[in-house]
Amino acid sequence: MSDEEHHFESKADAGASKTYPQQAGTIRKNGYIVIKNRPCKVVEVSTSKTGKHGHAKCHFVGIDIFTAKKLEDIVPSSHNCDVPHVNRTDYQLIDISEDGFVSLLTESGGTKDDLRLPTDDNLLTQIKDGFAEGKDLVVSVMSAMGEEQICALKDIGPK
Amino acid sequence: MQGFSDGGAGADLALLQSTMHTIEVACSSIQMHINPTAAEATILSLSQSPQPYKACQYILENSQVANARFQAAAAIQDAAIREWGFLSIEDRRSLISFCLCFVMQHASLLEGYVQAKVSSVAAQLMKRGWLDFTAAEKEAFFYQVNQAILGAHGVDVQFIGVHFLESLVSEFSPSTSSAMGLPREFHEQCRTSLELNYLKTFYCWARDAALSVTNKIIESDAAIPEVKVCTAALCLMLLILNWEFRHDANSMKAGINVFSAGVRHDNASSKRSECVLVQPGPAWCDALISNGHVGWLLGLYAALRQKFSREGYWLDCPIAVSARKLIVQFCSLTGTIFPSDNGKMQENHLLQLLSGILQWIDPPGAVSKAIEEGKSESEMLDGCRALLSIATVTTPFVFDQLLKSIRPFGTLTLLSTLMCEVVKVLMTNNTDEETWSWEARDILLDTWTILLVPMDGNGGDALLPPEGKHAAANLFSMIVESELKVASASVANDDVDSDYLQASISAMDERLSSYALIARAAVDVTIPLLTGLFSECVAQLHQGRGIMDPTETLEELYSLLLITGHVLADEGDGETPLVPTAIQTHFADIVEAENHPVVILSGSIIRFAEQSMDQEMRVTVFSPRLMEAVIWFLARWSHTYLMPLEEANCHLSHDYEHQRQSIHSRKALLSFFGEHNQGQIVLNIIVHISMMTLMSYPGEKDLQGLTCHHLLHTLVRRKNICHRLVSMDSWRDLANAFTNEKSFFLLSSANQRSLAQTLVLSASGLRNSEASNRYVRGLMVHMTTYLVELSNKNDLKSVSQQPDIIMSVSCLLERLRGAASAAEPRTQRSIYEMGISVMNPVLILLEVYKHESAVVYLLLKFIVDWVDGQISYLEAQETASVIDFCMRLLQLYSSQNIGKISVSLSSTLLSEAKTEKYKDLRALLQLLSSLCSKDLVDFSSDSIEVAGTNISQVVYFGLHIVTPLISLELLKYPKLCHDYFSLLSHILEVYPETLAQLNSEAFAHILGTLDFGLHHQDAEVVNMCLGALRALASYHYREMCAGKTGLGSHAAGQGNLPEGIFSRFLRSLLQLLLFEDYSPDLVGAAADALLPLILCEQGLYQRLGNELIERQANSTLKSRLANALHSLTSSNHLSSTLDRVNYQRFRKNLNSFLIEVRGFLRTM
Repeated sequence: MSDEEHHFESKADAGASKTYPQQAGTIRKNGYIVIKNRPCKVVEVSTSKTGKHGHAKCHFVGIDIFTAKKLEDIVPSSHNCDVPHVNRTDYQLIDISEDGFVSLLTESGGTKDDLRLPTDDNLLTQIKDGFAEGKDLVVSVMSAMGEEQICALKDIGPK
Repeated sequence: MQGFSDGGAGADLALLQSTMHTIEVACSSIQMHINPTAAEATILSLSQSPQPYKACQYILENSQVANARFQAAAAIQDAAIREWGFLSIEDRRSLISFCLCFVMQHASLLEGYVQAKVSSVAAQLMKRGWLDFTAAEKEAFFYQVNQAILGAHGVDVQFIGVHFLESLVSEFSPSTSSAMGLPREFHEQCRTSLELNYLKTFYCWARDAALSVTNKIIESDAAIPEVKVCTAALCLMLLILNWEFRHDANSMKAGINVFSAGVRHDNASSKRSECVLVQPGPAWCDALISNGHVGWLLGLYAALRQKFSREGYWLDCPIAVSARKLIVQFCSLTGTIFPSDNGKMQENHLLQLLSGILQWIDPPGAVSKAIEEGKSESEMLDGCRALLSIATVTTPFVFDQLLKSIRPFGTLTLLSTLMCEVVKVLMTNNTDEETWSWEARDILLDTWTILLVPMDGNGGDALLPPEGKHAAANLFSMIVESELKVASASVANDDVDSDYLQASISAMDERLSSYALIARAAVDVTIPLLTGLFSECVAQLHQGRGIMDPTETLEELYSLLLITGHVLADEGDGETPLVPTAIQTHFADIVEAENHPVVILSGSIIRFAEQSMDQEMRVTVFSPRLMEAVIWFLARWSHTYLMPLEEANCHLSHDYEHQRQSIHSRKALLSFFGEHNQGQIVLNIIVHISMMTLMSYPGEKDLQGLTCHHLLHTLVRRKNICHRLVSMDSWRDLANAFTNEKSFFLLSSANQRSLAQTLVLSASGLRNSEASNRYVRGLMVHMTTYLVELSNKNDLKSVSQQPDIIMSVSCLLERLRGAASAAEPRTQRSIYEMGISVMNPVLILLEVYKHESAVVYLLLKFIVDWVDGQISYLEAQETASVIDFCMRLLQLYSSQNIGKISVSLSSTLLSEAKTEKYKDLRALLQLLSSLCSKDLVDFSSDSIEVAGTNISQVVYFGLHIVTPLISLELLKYPKLCHDYFSLLSHILEVYPETLAQLNSEAFAHILGTLDFGLHHQDAEVVNMCLGALRALASYHYREMCAGKTGLGSHAAGQGNLPEGIFSRFLRSLLQLLLFEDYSPDLVGAAADALLPLILCEQGLYQRLGNELIERQANSTLKSRLANALHSLTSSNHLSSTLDRVNYQRFRKNLNSFLIEVRGFLRTM
């Protein structure tokens, strides 16, 4: 068992892999899962058996974290599922351009200009109004499986 | 809308006519759904207008629209109850007699529902005035009723009279009475008065009414109007016998009887039963028993039975149903109504009833056949209910003897054949629908349970006579046969709805414990039977391996394991269950432990379970579901039989002679699986099997949950077993696998937690505290090291978001949490160190995982559980550092969450996010509560003040940090709401001075939530808010009296709140008390809050009082209100201090104040 000592270490390189395999039985509500090749947040897990004396299977209901579509999947609970690597990064908002793109300040001091404003009305008005009022805004950008989206906003207050 | 008041003496006909017309139009428009809101408002304004009686009476007498008459009656009721206080005695009386006369005069013309309404109005008003009317006044009313019941004015009036009494009795019975805004004492007094002075008279009237029409009914061939009277009279008698009799004057003296008689008396009510015992006391003997009343009733029903083939009568016609119900009710008659003659009279009474009932259920075969062919089952079910009632009031012996005098066999045999018959029917048409046989089985099973459940509280079983035992054994084998058949048949349909399954499992559990009682009544037959069936099933499995589908046999084994588990052992319910007495005392002739039937049965099941260790057997035979049953059985069995504590010294029972005979066999049984015999071997097997289920059944959460929560947890609850466990290799292997084995990281979170807890708890089996702490350290060190190393990584930020790392972190946190919740004095040190070592990592992880709500929640829960387990043991210095840590945690959490707007396109995810936030906050509130508890429970050697820690300061900061996060939106979660307000009321009660130091924003927020809580639906929340308010106001008042500032600027009001807080709350509390709806139970707490508020703001109170009085237009009401307000603060020698006596006085004052004025204030 001594060579098992360091099994906590992630075997993949950071950022290299978009998904990781994980046993279906260990995926919980509020965790993430890939269903039909889309990264989803799990909102419901239920288990049932295949026949009375069969093995357990998990029934997942997930919500696509980018499109909010509902997706479902059934997997035997001892099999592996793909779990997406979901990253969230905070950036300070520098500018909103006329064509709907935002300019963000990265940690290293550079700028990131390839993100569109979010489509959600509430968040959009919050960002626009806050920016217009001259507040210092920090946006969270969620990325998974090659997609990115602004998902949250925080006012760190005018200093 | 114009009022409908009478407008003084000269109410003219035209006005009445127009009122009637308006109401009639409103009623018919409601029926036709034309603008129903307006119509409802019209009708409401009638009942809300002052003194609408003349108009209502006019409508009742003249309207042709039945609905309008109904509404008029309702309006009389509402208005009279409201205005009762200032109606003159004459008015009150005339209202009642109007209603009474009205129904009697229109007896044959009115619609049924109008009739019922008017008599219930009369009944309710009669009760409202019950304590004010003189005996003579009541007599006058009842004379009228009695005349009606005697039949002097014809059958219809007779029916009305009986019906009125029914309304009256149900109005007086606590469970069906209307509140009328009066305190409980009033209802209680009315109840007592009716029970002592009138109830029996009413019963006799009803009986006489029924008697007077009996002959006519029996003689006539078709249905006649008298049947209606008789049915009503039977209903009234049933209602009266359902009365919860309290004032049985002689019950105390009759207590001596309890020990001698064969028939149970008052103490029998302690038995578990849904059957209501009828105990009216000795005064009722002449009315119910000694005058042949029961004979008449049975005769009446027998005569009705003859008529069922004819027109107008059938098995379920109202009169037959009422008669049967009354007969069943008579079976429950018990108590001091029977003289102390060793139960002779009661036995005769029951025998008489039983012989009447016998035709309904005997012979069982023919009865069940008739029902299957289409006869109504209600008579048979009532027969079963009667048996249940009889069983409730007798001992098994007396129960059995009853039938012997008229049949060659006893009642138990009848019960057994009857139930066998029912089970047979169940077995042949096995559907999911609830059929009559389900219901019959449940009633009969209850009957057996009542008979067999040990009743004397010290475990002594009800011993059955040999014939009864035989009956029980027969029945049990029938039951097992049917259960197995149902089980194997159920394999076909696996489309089980999980909700339905959950409900049926708990019902099944109850049923199984009743089966177990039956089995234990005849253990010498039933245990070998189970052994035989079990080995048969196992043999079948082995023979058929690889040849045929084993599913049916697996399902049979599953049921058999459940049944056997219930028969052999009891559920612990948090205590260590003893070996059931029946099993302990039987088998006196067995000397060799190996031959003891229980040992043989247990042994064969354990050997079978052991086969699951074999890989090939596991795949082919031990399905997850079967394994669940095996684990469940092992858990239940080992709790009772494995290394029992009493092994050495058998406990003494009252029956010493019997004890000596069986002491040998009992000792053999108990010691066989004891520590010095087979116990250790079996324990080893159990640990191996547990480890196997955790590793070889990946993803089977239910099975692993049973293993962790049920089996392993059961083992470590007993110290002698822990002692063995820690010295066993298999246990060490389990602990090793837990820390190192990959498959253990795949267990579900709850199972991780429980396993960690179990392993830590087993440390109590070690010699001393040092060894225990060393054990726990060894167990947990890998996990804390991993977290520390992870948090020190340079690339933590990117690594931490990888799913596999998130999973390991969650896993470890669950384990730490499990270990933290297992803290005992012995292992407290090591658990404390474990927590301290991960303090920094926790804060770092909280920062990194701020977007990963699931991890955040785990972090918070771990800290909550750890602090909760540790806080009371910590020394001053340690407390200071823990509190410091908690504050940093709170600050970090709040800085991450205040002002954050999460948006998601999906509403599900949004509500999910809200729920997560709620759970987090709830955990934080729990953390604050635990910290608060340090002031109350403290085991440390020095006071915490030594290190300069002040809990009230901590709470102050905590509130500052947490309350801004709690929005009114979040308070809609009931649990959070409950936790928040209980913490708030605790803090305000214990540290009111901290509140004064809060800044005005936080203060305003807290008071805002308090105001919200005051208007909450949950009475308990309101109660806590009132408590908080009382604490706050009384603190302020005391401080002011002492010449200090109290709440200072907060009380005075400032900025955007021109009014001080106490003025605000005084206003809103008065508003609540006078004009809004609330539970009457809250009046006491409200009084406690109101008194200090009034004392704080006396000027405002005077002003508010004057405003109230000014608003009152009616001068009578004005003066009443002024008087009531005056006596609220001056009667009962109320002073301006805040001591207990004064609070009590004020409670009384407020109660009478509200009764006096709320009625008219609310409607004006």
